[in-house]
Amino acid sequence: MTPQDQTTLVPDADAEGLDSRLSTVDTQNQSYFRLVWRRFRRSTPGMIGFSLVVLLLTVAFFANFFAPVNPKMPHDGFAPPDQISWFVPGDGPEAGWRLLPVTFPIVESETLDPVTFQPLMGPDYANPRSLQFFAKGWDYTFLGIPASRHFIQSSDGTPLHILGTDKLGRDILSRGIVGSRITLAIALVSITLITIIGTLVGITSGYIGGRFDMWFQRFVEIVLAFPQLPLYLALASLIPVTAPSGLFLTFVVLVIVGLGWAQLSREVRGKTMSLRQLDYVRAAMAVGAGDGRIITRHILPNVMSHVIVAITLGIPGIVLLESFLGFLGFAVKPPLISWGLMLQDAGTFSSIGSYPWILSPVGFVLLTVFAFNALGDGLRDAIDPY
Amino acid sequence: MTETTNTLPLIDAQNVGVSFKVDGGIVEAVRDVSFTVHRGKTTALVGESGSGKSVTARAVMRLLSKRAKVAGNTRILFDGQDMAKLSPNDMRKMRGNRISMIFQEPMSSLNPIYKIGAQISEVLILHQKMTRKDAWARSIELLAEVRIPDPDMRVNQYPHQLSGGQRQRVMIAMALANRPDVLIADEPTTALDVTVQAEILHLIDDLKTKFGMGVILITHDLTVVRQFADVVHVMQHGEVRESGPTEEIFSNPQHAYTRRLLASEPKGVANPITDASETVLQGDKVRVQYMLRKGGAFRGTYHPLVAVNDLSLNLKRGETLGLVGESGSGKTTFGQALMRLIHCNGGEISFLGDRIETHDRKAMQPYRSRMQIVFQDPFSSLNPRMSVRQIIEEGLIVNGIGTNAADRFERMKQALRDSGMPDTIGNRFPHEFSGGQRQRLAIARAIALEPEFILLDEPTSALDLSVQAQIIELLRKLQREKGLSYLFISHDLKVVRALCHRVMVMQNGNIVEEGPVAQVLVNPKTDYTKRLVRAAFEIAT
Repeated sequence: MTPQDQTTLVPDADAEGLDSRLSTVDTQNQSYFRLVWRRFRRSTPGMIGFSLVVLLLTVAFFANFFAPVNPKMPHDGFAPPDQISWFVPGDGPEAGWRLLPVTFPIVESETLDPVTFQPLMGPDYANPRSLQFFAKGWDYTFLGIPASRHFIQSSDGTPLHILGTDKLGRDILSRGIVGSRITLAIALVSITLITIIGTLVGITSGYIGGRFDMWFQRFVEIVLAFPQLPLYLALASLIPVTAPSGLFLTFVVLVIVGLGWAQLSREVRGKTMSLRQLDYVRAAMAVGAGDGRIITRHILPNVMSHVIVAITLGIPGIVLLESFLGFLGFAVKPPLISWGLMLQDAGTFSSIGSYPWILSPVGFVLLTVFAFNALGDGLRDAIDPY
Repeated sequence: MTETTNTLPLIDAQNVGVSFKVDGGIVEAVRDVSFTVHRGKTTALVGESGSGKSVTARAVMRLLSKRAKVAGNTRILFDGQDMAKLSPNDMRKMRGNRISMIFQEPMSSLNPIYKIGAQISEVLILHQKMTRKDAWARSIELLAEVRIPDPDMRVNQYPHQLSGGQRQRVMIAMALANRPDVLIADEPTTALDVTVQAEILHLIDDLKTKFGMGVILITHDLTVVRQFADVVHVMQHGEVRESGPTEEIFSNPQHAYTRRLLASEPKGVANPITDASETVLQGDKVRVQYMLRKGGAFRGTYHPLVAVNDLSLNLKRGETLGLVGESGSGKTTFGQALMRLIHCNGGEISFLGDRIETHDRKAMQPYRSRMQIVFQDPFSSLNPRMSVRQIIEEGLIVNGIGTNAADRFERMKQALRDSGMPDTIGNRFPHEFSGGQRQRLAIARAIALEPEFILLDEPTSALDLSVQAQIIELLRKLQREKGLSYLFISHDLKVVRALCHRVMVMQNGNIVEEGPVAQVLVNPKTDYTKRLVRAAFEIAT
């Protein structure tokens, strides 16, 4: 008899041995979030979205540092974007390739536009200005500390309009960067409130169930069916024009939240109802756990993954809504800056035709919406792959 | 159909190998599996989950997913023809025509929006270019062949109007529509009730003889193999461990794995009851009913559906009572009603002498640590977001057992050791464990509270045979050591025989028979019990 045969004479002992395959040394746990992160890293769009969101939030947080020009300071109106180049054309002393990029100031040329008879604007290749990183520029305060360093500046201190200027001559890129604060702040504050209210209400309604759930869901349906736009229009006429912008912003956020929580609460309620049926919730009841414990320990953590995805996919919606309301002039009032407000300038066809760069806030909105959507999609695949 | 001599195999598969691309590498699912299928014979591929038996069959049908890669030296001859050389188009003609397959799940393999007749006709029209009318007539004949009563009427019905067993018969009718040479049956009866299983397998067997088909039977059930297969290939981890004629394998297994598999058939009997007779749980005329609404939106009426009809039960200390029945017979409902996990509409329940049927959840709290439950599906009964330690300690914390955190930690480790797991795994999460290990964790959660009574709701039916044997052994050991009482719910009479002292047979919310295991299983009185017993122990009807 071979040794192998001998061990199998006691099949049960051998079968028990199978479980000893379990490593007893490795107590390092692979927590849920580690697993999600591992799956998330595999998704290319998700990682792109994640990097973009990090970038966006960084830029928004250090907005004044990244804005090359004071966003409220007027310069030449409707100046086209500065050309950035590593090569200086012509035969002047400055001509040739450069290691650091240069820009050319925009000047009026001698020739006139044959249709409008306005002088044509164009780059002045004879006088290149070199660009400097982390250079001194306009003064601002960051968290109460006065500062004047900026990410990028032209070396001679002349204003740098990478995306051109608007009709009052204010730098569009700087306004876009500073405006991201308000836009993202509206989105983040609203989504936080929506999440808290939606999750609480959804879990309560789904967990209690029965008659309460039935009547409460009818109320949710009314909220869902409420037409949004008329409410915003009514709001605009309700608040006096002289009201402080802070009050106006609060109102906008309240309306977004007041209409937005219902959808999330519906989703959370459905998820809660299915979780409530699961064996592990029943097992918790069988060990005598109370409702509070079951909700916080068993239902909430399992709902959270869904909520996180809902948050990331909800932010783009609010950003879009803000740009839309801002365009109509309802969301943010000057002198505050937001992307929607900037788009107001692009309201007429003629100005878009003549000065297409004033549409660049659309690019900011697009980028933000894409970033959060990609992040949300990646997260959803990572959290709930089935 | 080409005529071949009977000695030449219909399918001659040599060195079948399949690998799958996964994250960070390649997994070999099947390695060097060789088998043959002869006309009129059944070749069985047996193994536990993950042994690669289904993948092997799919490789023959060339139905593998895109991630799969068939090994270079794989050679599959069908009727002397090399299958690898067939174009995808020829292969499509072959499938469903000369080789057919039936699957495990008859609910999802039929399209719910077409009539039975239309679905069978489709196969005929596609492969035999029949007219719609001829195909319809032929469908009725086929339904008669698979012994569906009233085929003229059934042909006009939709899948949801048939029972699970009838749906599987329809699947077989579809598979046989073109008189295939080979039928691949992938776990054809796993999703069906035991009594239906036998009928389906006999049907396949009869049709095999009648039409001279070769059958590849894929299953994990050794009883089925012994009854129906001519040649057996035992698979484990993607390799054939042993193959040979059925009788030889069963009477004289050579390979260690085969022996272990055969030894894992539930065996032994329950521990003798030590002394006696303190009643742990008693139910008297327990009734559970649900109100079903019938009628229109505004004037609906409610009708009661009685799930548990005035049933009584008495469980003594150290005793295991089996509750047996087919799916839908109300056994789980009865068990959970006795534990006051679902509402009961009438009757008396007493636990250790205290009446508990009117207690609400708060009032039940003091009893919870003394009565515990283990669920059927170990994948849904453990919260995926909690670590093993949190899962097991939850009951201790809720019930205030243990003086401090260190004491609770010690109790958790003891519970893990008692249930046969290492005590160092407290920080890990449920998804890191296999089905059998998870079931051990669920048992550890239950025994950590030191209960006197555990409701075992089909704790072994989601598990592989060898793991099943381990869990049964564990339950017996725990009962011996701690004097536990079990109420054991199951449809598998073999497990019941190995674990229970007494057994109650349930059908449609009623108890049709009860008594000591030896008496009920050996000498059943009612027809229903007789059928269950036959299906479990002999299959042959």
